[in-house]
Amino acid sequence: MAVKEKIVSRDFKEYVREVNPDVGLDESIKGLTPEKIEKTIKAVLGARTARIRAVLETCIHCGLCSKACQWYLSNDGDPSYAPVAKMRMTIWEMLKRDGKVDAEFIKQCARIVFTECNICHRCSMYCPYGLDVTFIIGLVRRVCFVLGVVPQRQMDQDHAHATTLNQVWLGQNDWLDTMQWQEEEVGAEYKDLRIPIDKEGAEVMWLPLGAEPKTGIYHIERTAKIMHAAGIDWTVPGKDVWDSSNMPMFLRDFATMQRIVRGLFDNAIRLRIKKMVLTE
Amino acid sequence: MFDFIRDPSLYNLVRGPLVWIAFFVFIGGSIFKIRAMYIMARNEKAVLPFINGKAALRSLLHWVIPFASRNWRLRWPITTLTFVFHIGLVFLPLFLLSHNILIHESWGITWWTVSEGFADAVTLLVIFSCVAFFLRRVFASEVKFVSSSSDFLILAISFFPFLTGFLAFHELLLPYKWMVILHMIFGEIMLMAIPFTRLGHMFYFFMTRTWMGSQFALWNSKDW
Ligand code: HEM
Ligand code: HEM
Ligand code: SF4
Ligand code: SF4
Repeated sequence: MAVKEKIVSRDFKEYVREVNPDVGLDESIKGLTPEKIEKTIKAVLGARTARIRAVLETCIHCGLCSKACQWYLSNDGDPSYAPVAKMRMTIWEMLKRDGKVDAEFIKQCARIVFTECNICHRCSMYCPYGLDVTFIIGLVRRVCFVLGVVPQRQMDQDHAHATTLNQVWLGQNDWLDTMQWQEEEVGAEYKDLRIPIDKEGAEVMWLPLGAEPKTGIYHIERTAKIMHAAGIDWTVPGKDVWDSSNMPMFLRDFATMQRIVRGLFDNAIRLRIKKMVLTE
Repeated sequence: MFDFIRDPSLYNLVRGPLVWIAFFVFIGGSIFKIRAMYIMARNEKAVLPFINGKAALRSLLHWVIPFASRNWRLRWPITTLTFVFHIGLVFLPLFLLSHNILIHESWGITWWTVSEGFADAVTLLVIFSCVAFFLRRVFASEVKFVSSSSDFLILAISFFPFLTGFLAFHELLLPYKWMVILHMIFGEIMLMAIPFTRLGHMFYFFMTRTWMGSQFALWNSKDW
């Protein structure tokens, strides 16, 4: 097996990683200036709110959160994967240097917060104070997102949401077409099975993940069968937004995130449905 | 206090006015910090409406009782250490005979005290815990990576009142009077440091747990 090339972080000698090229990180930092970075950090972290302060002023640096983290566990207890270490290498340093960090540092932050943390909240279940490390990671993601430094695949999903309100670049026509096509398919097996589109007053509105109508079409068919067999009065929305995956939330792209949530609730109100059922 | 005006010696200074100042800074500073955090939380709008008293209480109870949470069980050596350390640190000074005597001299009140032998044993345990915490900070990789001078400083602030109290009691190292003066100074430093360093976790603990306990209840899961 070939030995993979490693890089040792300039800022933290314990942070040693395999070289992993990503256009979203490597190219996007080229346009950054120190002024822009400082301004962004101050805009995101400047108003030190209760939730930020509570974490920074309470964390006793005890490391008891480490065994919560799958990254720490699956990398043989490498301390640079511990939740508190991720705060140390990102937000503590940004605040210590008063926002005066360079593009290389931002790239390293982006690698840490986007590719070495799943914002799963497990560390909050292990920290004796229940500190919201995830919230802090989210803030650093916000800094990186505003600066445009995001792994390419994640940024692409965000762009898809911003443009089409779903993760897979599916137009409204394609969405409706897929639903009807699937209804026909199942019709061969169940004569009276319907995939009701825009049925007002239905009990349940089903909201798939973007990938289901795009690449996991059989999920639609199966969901329809389950709803049919369970005798549920259900519907799917005929208008955007129908994709319940909210990738912008993970990037802390708040504008797009809110458009999606609002769109889902608008459909619920328009159709006067009682429950939303999401794929997870 | 009046002793100091009559005889302004170093002993009377640390035994009189500085004790008052220390308690004033400790209590006043703590109230100020708690109030400031509360006001910030109120202004943030997304915090107070989500507080769930019952969930907060359940979360708190699971974390102030030894081994009641998963991580306390998983990390049982540190759990034992931290509970011995904190119980000694918070309760021993309150029920110490010598502290009670001082309070009696000043205000004429006393309350229940522990025997001197027991106090001495607990003091030694706290000193031992501090040393263990120190070694953990130096040798455990996940702690070492995130330790800075401020961590050693707050550990020292917690350590010295116990060390000097112990040395004074046994009249070791320095003449009794000098060691007691040192002890009082370190005790006062510790009290004054609590609101303004990360030792403020003494009260923030209850606030952060209240928040996370409420959040996890909202997500239908447990945070212990
Ligand atoms: C605020 C000012 C304080 C004053 C004036 C004070 C005064 C004293 C005095 C006079 C003694 C007697 C020593 C002896 O037995 O002869 C003592 C012992 C002791 N003090 Fe304090 N103290 C103060 C704060 C503290 C604090 C904050 C702590 C710890 C949190 C503390 C922990 C102890 C301990 C553990 C001993 C006894 C050690 C032993 O019996 O082995 N004191 N203190
Ligand atoms: C009564 C309320 C208090 C609570 C609930 C509390 C809780 C905690 C918790 C949960 C930890 C982290 C676990 C650990 O590292 O062992 C901790 C650590 C610590 N506490 Fe407290 N604490 C309290 C009061 C105090 C006070 C009054 C002091 C000292 C003045 C203190 C000094 C420390 C120190 C020095 C550590 C860090 C130990 C290390 O280096 O890892 N605590 N406390
Ligand atoms: S939120 Fe991130 S740091 Fe915390 S346990 Fe999950 S993956 Fe690890
Ligand atoms: S467990 Fe909590 S207090 Fe300890 S290092 Fe992790 S986040 Fe900080």
